[in-house]
Amino acid sequence: MIRWAKINYLFVIRMLGWLLLIEAVFMLFPLIPCAIYHEPAAMRSMLYSILATAGTGVLFSLVKPKKQEIYRREGYLLTALVWIVFTLFGMLPYLFSGSLNTVADAFFETMSGFTTTGSTVMTNVESVPKGILFWRALTQWFGGMGIVVFTIAIHPALNVSGGLQIFNAEVTGITHDKLLPRISQTAKGLWLVYIVLSAAMTLLLWAGPMNLFDSLCQMMTAISTGGFSTKNTSIAYWNSYYTDIIIIIFMFLGGVNFSLLFSVSVGKPKSLLKNDTFRYYTAFTLTMCAICIAIVSIAGLYDNWADRIIKPAFICVSGITSTGFGLVDFQKWGPLGICMLFIMMYFGACGGSTAGGLKVDRMVFLFRNIKNEFYRLLHPNTITTVTVNSRVLTSEISAKIVVFIAIFTASVIIIGMILTATGVPVIDAMFSSLSALSNIGFGSGVTYSSYITLPSICKWALSYGMLIGRLEIFTVIILFTRRFWVQ
Amino acid sequence: MKIVISGAGEVGKHLAKLLSNEGQDIIIMDEEQSKLECLESYNLLPQLGNPSSFKTMKKVGVDGADLYIAVTPSETRNVVSCSMAKHLGAKRTVARIDNYEYLNTNNRDYFAKIGVDHLVYPEYLAAKEIITALQHSWVRNWFELFDGELIVVGVKVRENARLVGMPLKELYTLSNYMHISAIRRKNETIIPRGEDKVEANDIVYIASTQEFVGNIIDLCGKKKVDVKKVMVMGGSRIAVQLAKMSSDKYKIKIIESDFVKAQELAVSLPECTIVNADGRDIDILKNEGIDDCDAFVTLTDSSETNILGCLTAKEYGIRKTIAEVENIQLITEAESLNIGTALNKKLLASSRIFQILLDNDSTNAKCLALVDAEVAEMVVKEGSKVTREDVKDLDLPREITIAGLVRDGHGMLVHGDTRLQAGDHVVIFCLSGSIRKAERLFNKK
Repeated sequence: MIRWAKINYLFVIRMLGWLLLIEAVFMLFPLIPCAIYHEPAAMRSMLYSILATAGTGVLFSLVKPKKQEIYRREGYLLTALVWIVFTLFGMLPYLFSGSLNTVADAFFETMSGFTTTGSTVMTNVESVPKGILFWRALTQWFGGMGIVVFTIAIHPALNVSGGLQIFNAEVTGITHDKLLPRISQTAKGLWLVYIVLSAAMTLLLWAGPMNLFDSLCQMMTAISTGGFSTKNTSIAYWNSYYTDIIIIIFMFLGGVNFSLLFSVSVGKPKSLLKNDTFRYYTAFTLTMCAICIAIVSIAGLYDNWADRIIKPAFICVSGITSTGFGLVDFQKWGPLGICMLFIMMYFGACGGSTAGGLKVDRMVFLFRNIKNEFYRLLHPNTITTVTVNSRVLTSEISAKIVVFIAIFTASVIIIGMILTATGVPVIDAMFSSLSALSNIGFGSGVTYSSYITLPSICKWALSYGMLIGRLEIFTVIILFTRRFWVQ
Repeated sequence: MKIVISGAGEVGKHLAKLLSNEGQDIIIMDEEQSKLECLESYNLLPQLGNPSSFKTMKKVGVDGADLYIAVTPSETRNVVSCSMAKHLGAKRTVARIDNYEYLNTNNRDYFAKIGVDHLVYPEYLAAKEIITALQHSWVRNWFELFDGELIVVGVKVRENARLVGMPLKELYTLSNYMHISAIRRKNETIIPRGEDKVEANDIVYIASTQEFVGNIIDLCGKKKVDVKKVMVMGGSRIAVQLAKMSSDKYKIKIIESDFVKAQELAVSLPECTIVNADGRDIDILKNEGIDDCDAFVTLTDSSETNILGCLTAKEYGIRKTIAEVENIQLITEAESLNIGTALNKKLLASSRIFQILLDNDSTNAKCLALVDAEVAEMVVKEGSKVTREDVKDLDLPREITIAGLVRDGHGMLVHGDTRLQAGDHVVIFCLSGSIRKAERLFNKK
């Protein structure tokens, strides 16, 4: 007989209810642009979505769990379910307003939003109502810092050890720094940094050629390293160096570990320079920019030097931080350019940020570990340790990192293969697959401007890729293991 | 409240978990990464660093701490780090010490001057606990609340006890001088209602007052044993402390297996009889007269030896056995094995620190924790929900009961027709985790 593991399902359902209520509150914000731009149809579709979400939320939150304790299993289950349930309800505005017609499209678009990927199936963004575009940007802003992290910050039921499990399941990176004694304080600290950065960026963008609506939307997708834009030509629409540079800076900040930004903001600026990950991240970004600027210059693209510097730099930062804003067609850079993008997308930015990818933390570890392994070929009895951010990583953590990299790479290849099987060219398939897993949003070839032409199966596969990429593999895949459900 | 704990040993860890569950902001520091690792999954902040370095102290923010607790193994280090913490701005400090002398009231001013507000000496607490247990040998636990105005006893009842099998409703009509507040049956704790019955082998927690507590003994089928002769196995520091504090009351015989240690004991404790032998050897125990001892106390370093020693003594008909059990996991086992009282230095030290902490916070003074229930002292606020109706009409949650109250300095028990008044100090029993519910009852307007 199978002995099922004891999981506190009722608590998970109740928390899902609470989270849906929070989503419903977030859905209220797009009503403002709907009202300002006189879009009654969009407003109606938002209202229906709010009703459906809030209704289900209330229903779920009426469930009374017998016990309030939650452990690891509930933590993983809740985190994975929240992201799926949020996407299911978050796609309602697209469906009700008719902006997207099929469930596969709407699910893909919403998952791409919450996971801050930024791949789109829309072909003409400018024709979509402003209210819906605002919701599309908001999903990225909300997903960037983390749905559960937000809830931990405000809901006392999660300010317990169980909440910590959920926090660890959602926040990216190898290890998670606790900033303050209680988990809700840590979550509040992270959100505070996020909100301050958001406000600063909105004002700076507004000062440039953008209007307030566009500033807000681009801000929400830039700081969360998401990459949805309100224009068909993305950032190129504004054709302003000022805007480009502001976005480069904030995309870069979005890729820095938020715990680190918090330490800096409470008056420990030196911690920035002491942090290995941050130094490597900066160095890697600068090197990649330099290489791409060189490629562009040698190929003699663009008319003037300002373009030759700012445009490649924008694409590089956009790729490394997994934002995926477009400015120029990087496909014109030739095979070497695409290859460089592959590397940037694979590496990603710092753990604990809003960015996707493997994360620089793991790369720093990997390189230091490789160095050690070669050293030990010559001196087999030496005991070597790997230190990242002046913290020694134990062999258990090392093993976990290696497993992570292996599964991540395997997933990229498997999803790429599914795409290839439906007739997508190999390079484009692999590029799109990596783009989904690293939450970037760039496309190549057939997926360059929109993913709409792909068959539904590819959209589901890519949606899954985005989810496991955002939750860093383990949280989702553990649900498919027998051990999770059986005692 | 922000609390900094230095030293992630047994006491430190236990306190950290306890206080974190209570909703306090806990930072715990230790020099060893391995000691902190098992705390990672709790809702608190572990910090690696030397607890007596100014740098670490500033890093963890001792200046804003409401309480600084030093519980590293080293006494001097605890005292020094408390002094440093106070200097840096910690509001109150507690140090764990190993020296009885420090507790002397004459020395208190000195420690206050160097910034150590409270001293906790676990061996002293343990010795005191043993003496209480010997004085009230018929109970398992004896708690005095509000300076002895109310008394809560935990008693294991056998088939012969008169209260077994009688619904509590009827029991109260016979005797209104007691209140059965909780029943521990096998592995669960029950907050009983009127229809519930006490069964044989339950441990019942009864609240009473000083003048009536004597009546309970008979009702529980116990006899008051006047303890005279005490046999102690293991000459540990607790044994020495016990002997120093109570050799005028009891005749103490200490069995110590280590020859050198036994000789030292003989020199320092002339009033006691010291035997150099292995306390697990039954022949020796017989020769030393275990048959006419009133109590048997095991205080060796090994919890297992202590438990086994007590079991052997039980077989020889000793009524009162007390075992030092340092492995927290073994305590419930020991209790189910009929060990009279299980003693744990760490739990004693942490509950003492807990009390110090709560003296600060007078709204909710939790005083003691049973295995899965809590006993709390609360003050009834003006206009709170509980003052509006008689206790029987209050519709209290099932997991909470009001055991007794102190009004104008006098202890009294609570029955169905008692009406609480603002300013009453009440003692409540509640199952673990429902203390917040209880708080709401007493505070809400």
